[in-house]
Parts: sequence; structure tokens; C-alpha cells
Amino acid sequence: MSPFDPLREQLASAAETFGAGLIDDVEQALRTDVEIFPVCHHSPASGLAMVRRLREKQPKVIYLELCEDLRPVLDELHNCKLPVALQAFATDIDGFPKEWAPLSVVAPITESSAEYQAIAYALETPGVEIVLVDRSVDHVFQWEPRAESADVGIEIGDLRPGFAALEEHLLHHGKVRHWSEWWDQYVEQPLSGADYETYRQVMVLIGSLFRRLKPTGNEVDEDRERYMWTRMREHLAATGADPADCLYVCGAFHAASPVMDEHLDISPRTKTSWLYGLIPSSHSAIETQFGLAPGSVSIAAATWDKSLKRHGLASYQLGSKRKGKAPAPVESQGLHAFLTQPPVLDGFDEAELLGWCVEIVRLARRNGYLASTADAIAVFETSILLAGMRNRKRPTPYDFQDAAVTCIEKDVVPGRRDVRRLVEIMLGGDKVGQVGYDSLPPLARDVLDRLKPLGLDLEKRTIQRALIDLDAHPELEPCSHLLWILRRLLPDDAVRPIMGSRRLGERSHQESWDLSIGRNQRSIIELGYEGVTIEQVLEQRLRRAVWDPKATASVALDAVEDSILYLGSRRFTDELGARAIQLLSGERTVDDAPDVLRRIRRLLAHYRATEPELPEWAKAFVTTGYAHYCTLLPTAFVEEETGVRQVGAMLGFLFTMESLALSLGCDRAQLELAVQQSHPTVPAKVALLWTARYQLGLLTMAELRELVGELLGSPLVVPSVPQYVSGFVQALESAPALAPFVVEVLSRAFGQLPDDVLLPWLPKLITALREQAPELVPVLVREAERTFPARLGDVDSFTPPWLAKPSSRRAVAASGPVSELLAAHPATGAAVGELLGCEPVADLNAEIGALLAAYPETGVAVAGILA
Amino acid sequence: MLRAPAEIKFAEELDYLESIDTSPKPFSWRLSPRMVRIFVLGSDRADGLDREIPQKWFGDRSFVERSIVTLASDRGLLLIGDPGTGKSWLAELLAAAISRNSTLVVQGTAGTTEDHIKYSWNVSMVIAKGQSKESMIPSPIMTAMERGVIGRFEELTRSTSDVQDALISILSEKYVSIPELPDDDNIVFAQPGFSIIATANSRDRGVNDLSSALKRRFNFVRIPVVTNKKSEAEIVRFRTEELLRRHQIELELPPTLLDILLQSFADLRAAAASATSDDEKLESALSTAEQIGVLEDAILHSQFFGDSTLKAATLASSLVGSLARRSPEDLAILNKYLHGVIEPRSKKDEGGPWKEFLDGGREAISTLS
Repeated sequence: MSPFDPLREQLASAAETFGAGLIDDVEQALRTDVEIFPVCHHSPASGLAMVRRLREKQPKVIYLELCEDLRPVLDELHNCKLPVALQAFATDIDGFPKEWAPLSVVAPITESSAEYQAIAYALETPGVEIVLVDRSVDHVFQWEPRAESADVGIEIGDLRPGFAALEEHLLHHGKVRHWSEWWDQYVEQPLSGADYETYRQVMVLIGSLFRRLKPTGNEVDEDRERYMWTRMREHLAATGADPADCLYVCGAFHAASPVMDEHLDISPRTKTSWLYGLIPSSHSAIETQFGLAPGSVSIAAATWDKSLKRHGLASYQLGSKRKGKAPAPVESQGLHAFLTQPPVLDGFDEAELLGWCVEIVRLARRNGYLASTADAIAVFETSILLAGMRNRKRPTPYDFQDAAVTCIEKDVVPGRRDVRRLVEIMLGGDKVGQVGYDSLPPLARDVLDRLKPLGLDLEKRTIQRALIDLDAHPELEPCSHLLWILRRLLPDDAVRPIMGSRRLGERSHQESWDLSIGRNQRSIIELGYEGVTIEQVLEQRLRRAVWDPKATASVALDAVEDSILYLGSRRFTDELGARAIQLLSGERTVDDAPDVLRRIRRLLAHYRATEPELPEWAKAFVTTGYAHYCTLLPTAFVEEETGVRQVGAMLGFLFTMESLALSLGCDRAQLELAVQQSHPTVPAKVALLWTARYQLGLLTMAELRELVGELLGSPLVVPSVPQYVSGFVQALESAPALAPFVVEVLSRAFGQLPDDVLLPWLPKLITALREQAPELVPVLVREAERTFPARLGDVDSFTPPWLAKPSSRRAVAASGPVSELLAAHPATGAAVGELLGCEPVADLNAEIGALLAAYPETGVAVAGILA
Repeated sequence: MLRAPAEIKFAEELDYLESIDTSPKPFSWRLSPRMVRIFVLGSDRADGLDREIPQKWFGDRSFVERSIVTLASDRGLLLIGDPGTGKSWLAELLAAAISRNSTLVVQGTAGTTEDHIKYSWNVSMVIAKGQSKESMIPSPIMTAMERGVIGRFEELTRSTSDVQDALISILSEKYVSIPELPDDDNIVFAQPGFSIIATANSRDRGVNDLSSALKRRFNFVRIPVVTNKKSEAEIVRFRTEELLRRHQIELELPPTLLDILLQSFADLRAAAASATSDDEKLESALSTAEQIGVLEDAILHSQFFGDSTLKAATLASSLVGSLARRSPEDLAILNKYLHGVIEPRSKKDEGGPWKEFLDGGREAISTLS
């Protein structure tokens, strides 16, 4: 006896158990009282078998593996263009971790799927009931704790080896690239003509195989199966339906279940309130969500259409009156025969392949490729050769795709799409579904109704251009208003203003919009989960934004602005304003000071222009802000984390709102004390402090100049001069009147700084100005324009104003006998002047007098005007 | 022979495959397309062969399939890709498998002339006997045409446009006329089975762009840089073993060092991908061939100047030596890489080979700079 015999026996018995287990599963699945119909998602073979079975059996009750609480949504399907997805959505969550919100479950449905066939049959045939038996969406999250809260996709019959090595093995030996191709070649094609019994047996066998090879346990799946069987038994008991009239549609994986007879005590749902609806879906979205190869769902849809035609079957469709006849019976084959014989493939469809070749060349030409008939021939030949090499009798779409890439794709892609993508488009393309008007949530319907005056078909998927002339058609004002709100709420490309803007204090006369609402149907539908009208959604969003624990005063002011612009509710605006005050006084940092300053300035300007009096909250905000920033000023000056820009903005707030604050009862002494307490060390902040002191009158202009002069004169401080200058530039925020001084400082810095300090600093100055103080740049440029000569010729004789002698002050003309004498004899003065080198001044008065005397009508005309 | 061409090196395998090949063969091919694929990509159990055929080219199988099918059609095959992606190796394997001759090669350079593609004359014979078929020197491409086998054109885009265009008539009319010869014998027709495998370097794009007429006559198969770590490891091991055999060196290649090499190349590639200017990335393309070069260098170094065991330090100095081409840019990048990536890793992996790798790299950089 060999020492390996026990091991051999053990292995042989394990293999036997495994093999027998598979067959047991098949037998068990075929024996149940309720007929099990195993499916695989996006499998046209499943769809075909389903159509055949439904026509033949005409079941009275259909149990479907789909979340039971999605049932009401199914009735809305007849309004939609497939593919669409059933969605369950929850923002107010209770019983799940807060960070999961919003929860979303998406179950896409395509026309070629078996589940849609079952749904369509059940809904269209009177007296047939469809019962969804899978756990509710709430249980999905209860049972499968996920870290992220992204969309959870649910599909019937997700059939794929859960064992990566097995999948790799199958792909390698099948000589295919991805799972969809493997499935298509080894299951889909052979099964498409098989009889029902063979179909069921093969599917259960595959389901059982994958189930047994799943590395992670099947506990959750088994619980789901118990759940489904429990629900089914409950339904059978409650209605007294005959199990023979029922059909249970589930994924092949669940068909091979060992727990069919077990009961599950179903736990109650959490208190989360779920909202249900339909959203448009697309082939590409389904592929991405479920990790399928690009194009595979489209190819499945094309195969479905073709098989229907070939087998002369009529599919079930919601809303269609077509009555299909019972299909011709297919000869029974049996599992054993099926597995041991080579599949009967349908013959090579030459006409179809030729059509594809011609079409792809045409498409390629349209997309910039230099493709010709010669390429069509080459693609045809290459497809056949490739299929031959890959052991296939006829080229599959995948072979055709490879052939087209080989023959047409060159070194560069000339247009937007490469050949691979073009083939996908040609073989069906990305089909995008649409939800019909009647199935839309109230909000989406409301939006469409309110935009009706524009006279556009907004359900189209193309971009629609809306032109609104608000002067000529004031009745379009509400449409424009709604569009602006949509602009605020929807993703960027959904509604895009081409002309016109909406800001405080602005009103457009004409607006032009690019609307792609049809394409963004999903976003609008999801807004519908948040409220009944678009205004309500905006209000809630704003409220949520300001009550967020991370909200800041600047966020709240932004919300105030949005509320004024879009909602116009005084009460709500005041509520947001009050929250802004609360947030501001609670803030310990001044990071947002620049934003706060900009926004409150804008708001104050708006109120001054439109209302007789500032609202209470605005007054309170200014006084609170004055006190708040005064308190924080000394620390902000010293703290390293606080930037110059922030301190500049604080000073801006304090000085530019000072008069308002003082009129509302603030005390200037507070500011003076705060400035006196400030002892910054960073050069830029020191410069800011100097300007603050100048503004408070604690420093004169002469002293300020002197300080700058000292800086430029001291070789030890020179390297840090640029930082001082940055500080002065920031000071423009609080003291626009200092612009001439800043120009002076800049000019002196340019003149006196050594190159090794100046040159590295220049680019930094420009970028820093652009980034931090873009609104200060024009002020500075305008001032510089005023100061410096405009023409090249004037540069030589240019004396900067700060170097000019204070002689510009006019000397008061002395009076007395000497001056009278000189005035009487101006020639003396002129002669002295000439001697000193001054230009002789012509006697202007005499010349003008002579001119006027020569043309007296001028005088008469002027007199006429003045009279 | 220092390096035997594929048809000699794998002669025995090719003979075996030919002996069992029952499928139809196109033209004068020595193997059917399926057997060519097995030869290049290796055999599976499912192929039902009674011996194993090792894999010789590593990459996506569909590239190989598309290439073989192209050669069976009437278009030429152009393999395009970054340097070091195995284009020439694939071309050689295909030519060897299909026509048992991979040596009919024209190397495209700036100095390649039309004569190299068509024919030239043996001047002394022309003087002695006049122009005749005997005094003509056919080019490798013309020889391939006459014999009905595969001709190869390496680095097609390095040769100038007029030379490239000489290929157009060869690929479409499939004959070359020799106007110098008398009328009855002045055309060389291509025999069935003739095709051309050209390779082109995608980094050379724009130097001598292919005309659209020529593009039309080639099917392009783009070979990407291997980024899959597993298959890259296989390639490096396969090629290095071959090199070692050629040098008759007995040396163990420790798997940890192979990992270090692959990891450092992967890091450097990631760095190059995120670089914004040419100065921030290494001049090297960081291809698999370069990795093999580094490993070979390290092995030879430790064989002849070391104690015949490969050490991490030697590997590091080879890596620095092969990749530092520009001073100071490349050296600066490698220095940054050593201290920014390797150093933290060596600290985490106390006592592991990374520390030694780091020291070796440091030393190499300090000698170079």
C-alpha cells in the first residue's frame, strides 16, 4: 500500500463530494414547489428564456429578487424610456452612522434583462401579481456595513466568480480578455437556443459552482435567501395562491440555495425615512457601477434584439399592445448532452459583418480617420482570421472590435473618439434612459411647468438655447428667476448663463441660457427628494449650510446674499443674518476676515441702495464686528498663523465701517487702545500698524515718510523692505487715501533697493498681488498713472510729487507801494525773470482782447447762451 | 555565436510545433497562426500538446493575435511603442515562427538609402560583366520578397521620408522593378508569404513622420510599457536568465532584490508621470529593457569584481550609473528619490535590504557628482 493512498482517497472523496454537491444543488432547485427561474444580469439568454417561459406557463404570481419596498416604483416604469434605475434615497438617517448620509440605492433596469420581462409581463397582464421578496433597502444597509456612502448598486443575478483566481483561470483558458466576453462566448451563445430545462439546469449549475468557490462565506447571501423564502411563504399562506402558478425569479447564485426551507425572523427597519423614485440610467453608467467591460451592456442589448428576431419572439414591453404568440417548442437536450456536445452555433452571418465593416469605416471617416473601402475589406478579413485563431466559427463583436482597431487605428487619434469607442457606438452605443413626465417627482414637474413659457422642449437631451428679453417680455421674469436658482443648485453644465448675471444690485435686460435639463434629469429628480419646490430645497440647503458645525461667518453672509438674490424672504434673510452674527462672535480666528469684509460691504451697499434703513441684523453685525475685530486685533498682529491679508482686512473693516459703527454706539477709544496694544514683529504687519496709526492721527505723513526713508537707508533692514511694501499695499484695503503714498513707497523701493533684493522680489510681488489683493491692483495702477508721466518725452523732466518742493503752495501776493509799482511796470519783472533764466510770459490778456475785438460775434453768442 | 537568432535558438521547439501542426497554413508559412501564437505566448494545458512551450514574449495576448493576423492579411505590420517594450523581440519571434528566418533586417537610420531597401550593384562586377542579375546585390527586403518570407525593418521612423516611401510600392504592388536590366527580366515579384514587420519608436514621433499613404499600408499595433508588476517580474527574470546563460554565469537572483528593482522603477515611473517639466524627470524611458540592463550590469559587476553574490548595494550603484545621464538634473532627481523615498522605507524596514540599497546609491551618487 502506498503511503499516499489515504491522501489519495481523501482527495478523491473531496472531489466526489464537490461534484455530487453541484448535481444535488441542481436537483434540489428543480424539485421545489415554487418554480425557480435562475437569471444572470444583462444576459439576453436569460431574457429569451424568460419570454419563452412566460408565454408558455402564464404564471399568476411572480416573485422577484428585488428590494421589497421598491414595489410602488415599478408602476411608474411605463412612463419611462429604458434604461432607468429604481432609486431609494435617504438624507435624514436614523440608525446608521451620520457620515453615511445621504444613502442611495440604485437598481438599474434594461430592456434586455429577464427581470424587466417579468415585470412587464406582470404589470401588463390582468390578474397577475408581482411580489418583490428581497430585503428592503433599509436592510441592505443594516446588513452590509459600508464605509462610504456612495451609490450602492443592486442588480438581480450578479453572477461572477467571487474568486479572482478562478476568473483569471477562466479568462486565460477561454482566450478572452474580460468577464463579459467569457460569459458571452461560453454561456450566452450556447444557451441562447437551448430549451428551458437545459437553461435552468446550466444556470443553477454555474450558480452552484460559483457559490461553492466563493472564498468569503455565504452568510449574508444565505440570510437573504431565508428572507426571500420567508416572504414567499408568507405570501402563499396569506393569499392561498397555488405554488404551481408561481414563478420565482432570482439570480442563479440564489437558485442553488441550501436554506430554502428555513425561516428568518425579519428585523424591523430603522427609523430612516426612505424616498423612492426613478432616475434615468445608461448603459455606460451600469457598466461603470458594476465593473463590467466598457460596451458590454450595449453589446448585450444588440444581441438581445438580434436573438428576438431570429427566434421570432415578441418581448414584453410596458405600454405596448403587442400580443406575442406562444413560441415554438425547442427540442429538449438535457444537461448532460448539453455539457458534452459542442454548442450548436448559428451560422456565420456574413451580411451582418459586412454591414459592420462598411459602417465602421464610414464612422471612422466622420471622426477624422483616413479610412477607405480598402480598410473595410481589411477589417472584414482580419475579423475572420482573428475569430479563426481564437477558435470561433464566426467573429464576435469583440473580434470585430479588435480587427477594426488593428486596421484603422494608426499612431494618433485624430478626433475625440478612438476606433474602439467608435465600434462601441456603432454596436448600439450608449443608450440613455429617460423618466417620463408623469413619473417625475413633484419638484421636477414643477420646474418643467414653470419653464414652459420659454417654449422649449426641455426633455430633449440636446443643449437648448433660451433667449430671454426681460424688457420686452417681463412675463418671463419668473422663468429667469427659476433658472438662476437652478444654476445655484444643479451641477455646472445643467443650466449655464451665456449672457446676463445675477449679483446684488444688478439686473439683466437680456439673458441667454444654455439649458441641458434633459441630460441632467437625475440631478433634478434627486433635488425632488429634498423638497417639494425648488425654493424649499434652496432654503433648506442654506439653512443646513449655516447651521453646519463647520460654518463660519463668511459662509453665513454668503447664504444671506443667496437668500436676497434667490428667495427674497425678509424673514429668512434676517434669520440667516442673526446666525452670521452668532457665528462671527464665536469665531476665534480671523482667517475669513477678507471674505467677511467683502461680503458685508456688498450687502451694506445693497441695503443702502434699496431700503430706507439698514435691517437690524446688519447694524448688529457691524457693531459686533467692530468690537470683535478690535478685540482680536492685538493677537492677530502678533500671531504667526494670521496672514497680512487677514490683518489688512480686519483694519479694513474697522476703518471703513467706523462711521457706521460709531453712529450705532461704538466707541473709537476701543480701536485706539487696540492699536496701541499691538506690537507686531513681522515687517509686513509693522507696515500695517504704521498706516493704522497714521489713520488714527497718531502718526503724520512726514513721520511715515521718515520711517520709510530709514528703512531704505539702513543696509541691515534693506532685505526685508519688500515685506514692508507688501504690508503697505494691504493697507490700501483700510485706507484708499494712502494710494499716493504706496505708489511713492513702491517707486522709492524700485529706485533704491539693490538688484539682488529687488529682482527676486518683483515676480513675487506680482503673483502675490494677483492672488491676494486683485481688487487693490486697479487702485494702485490708477494712482501710478496719475503720478507718472504718460509720455516718454516727459520722463526726463519728471519730478515725483514727493520730491517736489512744497513751493506748489501759491505765495500770497504781497500788497504795498512796491508791488503796485511793479504791477504797473511789468517789464521790470520780465527782465529780471529773463535774467534768471525764466521764459518770458506773453501778455495773454492783450492777445485775447485783440482776438475778441476782431470777432465780436463770439461775445454776442456767449452772452446769448448766458441769457 | 554570441547571440543566436530566434529560429536557431528555438529550432527544436519550432520543429516540434511544425511536426504536430495540422491546421491550414496561410501562404508559405511554416506554422499555422495558432501555432505561431503558441510559440510566442507559450502553451497551455488546454492546447493539448505533449510538451510545454515556454512563453517568450510577455504582454497582452491580443497584441500577438492582432500581429499574426495582420501578417496573414496583405498589409504590413508596424509595431509602435516606447523604447524597450519588446517590439523588436516580438518581430524577431514572429519572423522566426512564420518563415524560420528573422535575419532579413534593414536597420532604419538617418543614413539609410533607397538602395538598402531595394538593391545595389557590385561595382567591380558591373565593370567586368555589365549590369545583370549576378552583379546585383539584393537588399534583405528584396530577398524576403523573392523567397516569400517575412522581411523586417527596424526603427522605420528613423529613416528619411523618401526612403520610407520606397516601401509604398513594395507593400502595395508587391514587386520591385529594376530598370537597369533588360526588359524581359527586370521585375522581382514578391512570392506569397512575403510581408514586412516594421518597428517604430513612439518617442521619435515627429522626426520623420510616416506619410498617410504608407500608414494606410501598415496595420499599427501599439505595444505599451509593461506596468503590471507580475508580468514585468517575469520578463526581467526570463531575459536575465538568458543573459546569464550566455555569459555562463552561475548566480542566484534573490527575489527580494528583484522586488527592490521593480519597486524602484515603479516609484521612478510614478515620479516621472507627475513631473511637470523635462527637468524634473529622468531622461531614461524607464522601460523594462532598462531594468534588465541595470540587473545585468549589477550581475556582471558582482561576478567579476565582487564575490559572485548579488548585493543590494551593487544593484543601487548600477541603477544610479545607468539612469544618471544628465548632470546635474538626473543626479538631483535620483538624490531626491533616495532620500525622499528610500530612506523612510529603509527606516521602516529595519535590517532589510533597503538600507544597503540606500547606502550603495548614496555612494554611487557621491562618486558621480
